[in-house]
Amino acid sequence: MSFGSPWFTLPEFTYHKPKTLKEALELLDKYGEEAKVMAGGVGLLAFMKERLMAPSHVIDLKGVPELGQAIYKEGEGLTIGATVTLNELARYGPLKKFGALHDAVRDIADPIIRNRATLVGNLCEAIPWVDTPPALIALGAEVEIRSLKGERRVPVKDFIKGPVEIDLEPGELVTAVHVPEPRRNSRSRFIKYNTGSEFALVSVAANVVMDGGRVRDVSLVYGAVSSTPQVAVKAADALKSAEKPWEVLDEVGRIASEEVEAVSDVLASEEYRRHLIRVLTLRVLREVMG
Amino acid sequence: MEIEFTLNGVRKRVQVEPNELLLNVLREKLYMTGTKYGCGIGECGACTVLLDGEPVLSCLVLAADVDGREVTTIEGLARGEELDEVQKAFVEEGAVQCGFCTPGFIITAKSLLMENPNPSEEEVREYIKGNLCRCTGYMNIVKAILRAAGVIPQTP
Repeated sequence: MSFGSPWFTLPEFTYHKPKTLKEALELLDKYGEEAKVMAGGVGLLAFMKERLMAPSHVIDLKGVPELGQAIYKEGEGLTIGATVTLNELARYGPLKKFGALHDAVRDIADPIIRNRATLVGNLCEAIPWVDTPPALIALGAEVEIRSLKGERRVPVKDFIKGPVEIDLEPGELVTAVHVPEPRRNSRSRFIKYNTGSEFALVSVAANVVMDGGRVRDVSLVYGAVSSTPQVAVKAADALKSAEKPWEVLDEVGRIASEEVEAVSDVLASEEYRRHLIRVLTLRVLREVMG
Repeated sequence: MEIEFTLNGVRKRVQVEPNELLLNVLREKLYMTGTKYGCGIGECGACTVLLDGEPVLSCLVLAADVDGREVTTIEGLARGEELDEVQKAFVEEGAVQCGFCTPGFIITAKSLLMENPNPSEEEVREYIKGNLCRCTGYMNIVKAILRAAGVIPQTP
C-alpha cells in the first residue's frame, strides 16, 4: 500500500454543503462544468480516486431536506428525491406497488453500498449494466430536472443518451425521479442474470397490462446488453396481437433476442447475451402474466 | 476545515481537508488503525464502520460528511477487556485467518444482528456479500455470525 497511490487519495476540491435547493442551484449555476454534485458519493468518489473525474467543486446535496424524500400519492405515483438511498427506498412500503423497481432496488450491489448509493445517482451514472434504468423505463418513469432558469421533465428512456452520457446541461440538477401510478390490471417485474461478477450480463424489466386472457399493453426493456437500455418493440407487438398470449411466449422471446442491440464484451459474447435475452424474456413474462 | 463528531462514544474535534476520507482521518489523525484500507474503491468492505448505526464504507465517505454524527469502529465494540459477542464468536469459531478483513466483517455482522437478531444462514450470506475474505474463510465466518446470534449453540 502506498499513501501516494491515487486510489488512496482524492484530487483537491472545494466542498459545499448547501442547506436549500435554491442555494444548491446557485452553486451549480456559478461553477457549471467545474462542479459535480454528490449524494451518496459511492460512484463519484470512486471515479475521483481513479482520476476519471476531478471537479474543483463538490456540492454535497445531503443537507437539502426536500431532496431526501420519497413520496407516494395514490393516483399520481411515486416521487423519489435525489438523495434517497437505495436502502431507504427498499424500506419504503409503497415501493411494492412498483414491482419491477422493487425487484431492481433490493438486489443492487450489497447492503452496505445500498446504505449510501441513491436511485438518482445509479440512474445518472448511466453505466450500461446498472439495474434501475430498465425497471424505470418499463414503468414509464420521468426525470425531474431543475436549474435557476426553470424546470423540465424528461422520460428516463430519453434521459440516457449513451454510455455514461445523460441529457443534463451544466447548471442543471436532477432533483427527483417520478414513477407514475401503475395502470389497472398491470404487473411488473425485473430479473437479472449474473455469474461471479455482481454486474448483470443481461437484465430485463417487463410491465404488462392484462385484459381478460389477452395482453392489452406490454413494455419489455433490457439492460446490460448494449451501451444503453434497449426496448423491444416488435416483441411487445407480437404479444399484444396474440389471441392466446400464453402460447406465443417462446416466439416473443425469440423476436426480442433478434430485435435488440447486443454486444460482446469481457463478460459475455453477443451470442450468449441473445440466448439469455430469450430465456429471461420467457421467465419474466411467465411471472408478470401469471 | 474543522469537524466534530463522536467516535466510539468520545467527542472528537479534528482539522481535515475537504478531500480527506473518513478512513484516512480515522487511521492517520486519530490512530484508530483497526479499520483497514483494502481496495479503496468500495469493492471489499475492509473499511466498514458504523455511521449513526448504519454500516458504510469509510473509504468512500468524506470526513467532512461525518461532522456532527456518530461513528463506531471495531475499537468501539469491546467493553474494556470484555469482547463483544460477535468478536467472541469469531474467536471461538476460528473465523480469523490473516485477519485483514475481520474488522469489516465484524462491523457488518454487528449491523446485521442489530437489524435482525435471528438471521437464517441465507440471510447472513446475503448481508455479508459486500465483504470479501481473500483467505476465503467464509464457512467459519458464517458460522461465527450464526453463533453470535445464538442460532448455533455454544460448543463446550
